[in-house]
Amino acid sequence: MTQLACPFCGPRPLEEFLFRKTMPNAGDSAYARTYLRVDHGTHSEEQWQHSGGCRVWLRVVRNPSTGAVASMTVEGSAYELR
Amino acid sequence: MNSADRPRRRPTNSRRAAREGRVPVAETRPPVPSAKGAVEGKRYGTRLRDSTLTFTFDGVRYAARAGDTAAAALLAAGVSLFGRSVKARRPRGVFTAGPEEPCALLTVGQSPLVIPNVPATTLVLHAGMVLRSQNRWPSLRFDFASLLQVGGSLFTAGFYYKTFFWPTWRVFEPIIRHLAGLGEAPGACALSPPAVEHLSCDVLVVGSGPAGVTAALAAARAGAIVVVCEREPVCGGELEFEDSIVDGMPGYQWLARSLLELRTLGARLLCNTTVVAEAGDTVIAHTEPDGLPGDNTVYRIRAGRVLSAVGALEQPIAFIGNDLPGVMLLGAAERYAALYGVRPRGPVVLFGNHHRLYAAALRLRGLGANIVAIVDTRVDGELLKPEPTAAVALAQVAAAEGRDAAVALLRACGIACYQGHTLHAAHGWRGIRQVRVAPVDAPHAAFTIDCQSLLVSGGWVPQRGLPNASITGAAAGQVDLASLMTPAYDAGLLAAAALGFTVSAHTAPEGTGDPLPVVVPYLRSPAAAAEEKRQFIDLQNDVTVADLRVAIAEGFSHIEHVKRYTTLGIGTEQGRTSNTLGAGILAELRGLEPQQAQTSRARPPLAPMTLNSIAGQRTGAAFRVSRHTPLHDWHAAHGGVLDPMGLWLRPRYYRANGRDAGSAAVVEAARVRATGGIADCSTLGKIEIVGPDAAAFLDEIFLTRASALKVGRARYMVQLREDGLVLDDGLLLRVDEQRFLATTSSSHGLEVLSHLEHHLASAPGATRATTLPTDSRGCGLSITDVTDSWAVIAVAGPSSRPTLQGLLPTVALDRLSHMAFIDTEYAGHTVRVLRAGFSGELAFELYCPPVLAAVLWQALLEAGLAPYGIDALDILRVEKGYLTTAEINGQVTPLDLGMQAMVGQGNACIGQTLLARPAFHEEHRPCLVGLQAADGRAAFLAGAQIALSAGGTRSLGYVTSSVFSPTLDRWVGLALVARNHTSLGTTLWARDPLRGGDTAVCVVSPVHVDPEGLRMKGLP
Repeated sequence: MTQLACPFCGPRPLEEFLFRKTMPNAGDSAYARTYLRVDHGTHSEEQWQHSGGCRVWLRVVRNPSTGAVASMTVEGSAYELR
Repeated sequence: MNSADRPRRRPTNSRRAAREGRVPVAETRPPVPSAKGAVEGKRYGTRLRDSTLTFTFDGVRYAARAGDTAAAALLAAGVSLFGRSVKARRPRGVFTAGPEEPCALLTVGQSPLVIPNVPATTLVLHAGMVLRSQNRWPSLRFDFASLLQVGGSLFTAGFYYKTFFWPTWRVFEPIIRHLAGLGEAPGACALSPPAVEHLSCDVLVVGSGPAGVTAALAAARAGAIVVVCEREPVCGGELEFEDSIVDGMPGYQWLARSLLELRTLGARLLCNTTVVAEAGDTVIAHTEPDGLPGDNTVYRIRAGRVLSAVGALEQPIAFIGNDLPGVMLLGAAERYAALYGVRPRGPVVLFGNHHRLYAAALRLRGLGANIVAIVDTRVDGELLKPEPTAAVALAQVAAAEGRDAAVALLRACGIACYQGHTLHAAHGWRGIRQVRVAPVDAPHAAFTIDCQSLLVSGGWVPQRGLPNASITGAAAGQVDLASLMTPAYDAGLLAAAALGFTVSAHTAPEGTGDPLPVVVPYLRSPAAAAEEKRQFIDLQNDVTVADLRVAIAEGFSHIEHVKRYTTLGIGTEQGRTSNTLGAGILAELRGLEPQQAQTSRARPPLAPMTLNSIAGQRTGAAFRVSRHTPLHDWHAAHGGVLDPMGLWLRPRYYRANGRDAGSAAVVEAARVRATGGIADCSTLGKIEIVGPDAAAFLDEIFLTRASALKVGRARYMVQLREDGLVLDDGLLLRVDEQRFLATTSSSHGLEVLSHLEHHLASAPGATRATTLPTDSRGCGLSITDVTDSWAVIAVAGPSSRPTLQGLLPTVALDRLSHMAFIDTEYAGHTVRVLRAGFSGELAFELYCPPVLAAVLWQALLEAGLAPYGIDALDILRVEKGYLTTAEINGQVTPLDLGMQAMVGQGNACIGQTLLARPAFHEEHRPCLVGLQAADGRAAFLAGAQIALSAGGTRSLGYVTSSVFSPTLDRWVGLALVARNHTSLGTTLWARDPLRGGDTAVCVVSPVHVDPEGLRMKGLP
């Protein structure tokens, strides 16, 4: 039960979050964006939703091998929350 | 002479005693004046309480003291045979005194409410407990299958792959199945779900031995919130009984004082609690009071730092016959003596490779054990180091007068010292009788010693714990008290300091106990090749040195391969007494250096857990939430048979209409077509999209343009996923220019909501020009789940309009066209009347606040409409070819579902681009078709595979839904079939070999009933 720190709700258990996808590379075709999964190694850029809480969509930069979150921004918003 | 004083014949055999109606009593315990005592300054029986109790083992009653474990009480009563091994059916006794027990596993309780494989060593007895030995038939003393083992080589490594092939495996399978398996599986579960507790702390200390308590003290003194998990019923580990001095007082006194200080500082001490796994940053621990599943608590502990102080495990030495009852680890014998006052039986021989043997021999002798010999493999090993307490006199002799004098002193006590000797074999039938000892360098000069107990110690290995915890104490290799306390205290301080606590000025406690043992590795005594099959490594799985040889000869050399091939260390105790020994012997057999021995990987759970514990509270009704509609109570009270569909509980049918779902649904559906009916459709997902950008946003979502929809109108809409497959369908209602209400299928509500929110967040304003006030994300739009804000009642059938008109006289229902809606009032609440349905009849959907639902439902009932359930709804919609999640299965495009016209409108929505993928246009793409049974009333069921012929094995698709249609008086269905086989009139076969056999079906239009839609228009 890892926790993710929602910018609005604070640290919450992972079960409250919904993972959607890892972000495609810029300039990928529609086919590649949809069907090809990009392995970003230790710097994985992902979309998550706090579906069991405030329902905000988040852009999370994360190291999948350690679970360490490098940055977390509200999707579609210009400012970064800490 | 009163009866109490009358001399009694001492029972020679506990069974005879039981036959004579007497309860066997503890013979081997020292006389106990009170529960706890001391002999020559030694504490013993610390776990015992004053009262007594009785229990049965294999049908015989035994007496025990409160606090006894099953192993302690039975050992005290003279029982040495506890069970038989799972493969070779060899007699087995007690080998350890803790959860690492490989042999003495018992079944607790009576069939069917049994709990199998409970270690006798951790099971604390209760009055009247019923225990049984395992793996024996017909009885423990005589086991039939053990006769198979006379040759001793039937079940060698990999025997499954080698034996029982003539004439065929099936001949042997029933016999093997009867013999296989560890214990008896329970026929029923009598366990209540465990309590689940979430704990949050700064420092979690696993293990409360000297290192654990010291580390916990350090952290707690620095101000950290500390939780300590201890698997034993009491804290302290070795401090509970071992001769030791800490901070100038006996170890157990220091322990009591430290535990009190910990409690005062707010630390939580969890006894009987085993840490089993680590999940993310949470540690899972569980409590099994008295070593038996029952009143369990599962702890999920989130700790800032985890310290593992789980101690070290004593290791056995392999020799011939090392599995006989009576062979026990030395430390276990010391624990039985100290904690339960049980002395090892009869003449005792000690065998090991380090000097702690001597101190232990003196301690056990002090408690009255009859030690006859010490066999020490070291040729010229150090005899004794100066010790603080019991052995001090002997140590002084050794120091002052030399080794020979000390040996002479031991001999004067009746203890023969064989240094530089090894123990080749133990002999006996159901228990040890004799051991064969020889000098290490002269194996032929062997002699025998008679004994009833053999205590073995091959050194210690650190116990494995959680992979990510910091390790301290014996688990980190500091096996003696003097050297472990300062590092343990520092570990506690470090953990607290890392969390930002200010470290206080206290200093680490100073302790002295048994000195650091200098262990000379010694894994097994020499044996002839033919005898290696009696040198056991894993006692639970009967893995011998010979098995390792077989594995190596057959090419399995890595420890992980050998583990799987020979079953080394895969038992309930996870090989705690066999992993290190097996790895060492494997290295030896492969000709490697001992340092090159590999260790196999430990995997969670670290201790056995019942499935009940793993499930926790999430069983039965709490397995998942269930959602109720506002009309739930009415359905339940009026014969509605409620079934879960997704999270919702929905009425499948009403009992008044028929005995079973099939007949009742047919009655209900036929009544809707004939007159009318009402159904509870409140489970529909409802999402409100409001804002100046709403129409533009929905244009991006739906396959057809939402902005073209007029206010007051609804339309059937489909939304696609990014990959072009259909996500969901439903009606979209335009309430006003900037307000839409989208309905989704009952089970897809949350998914669609998430999809909309995702698109809003990912592409804000992609095609939308916001001019009006916006939210913080720069978009004039809000998306709200309003599923629970609207109850929905479907009113369908020819009589729906006149009946409804009677209830809502102010609305001109005859002027309300198909797919139009209007808001009106009923009993002071808003009711939205939408002319649409899911049945192909003239039908309306009434959207109302939940509070009004029961009132409106009652009024409709009183107006003469009868309710119908989901099964009837299913009949009506399959007859009309309407879709549900059975067809929209996440694998079909709108083209597959016959929505070419909608796609053809060319709206640039999500997923439209990828619809052009060539793969979506291949000739064998699934295509939605209707099916009718070719032969009258022959049935075919959803899930049946479609084939070209009756025996055909190539699947062309499958039946997604099928119902018995009362309108057509035959079975009809919908199917997804390869497009190149879907010309109307084709005869295909619905193959359902497991349920109904094969049925010939005709491909027809998906719209089985009223293809012109006349009924929907209210035309007869």
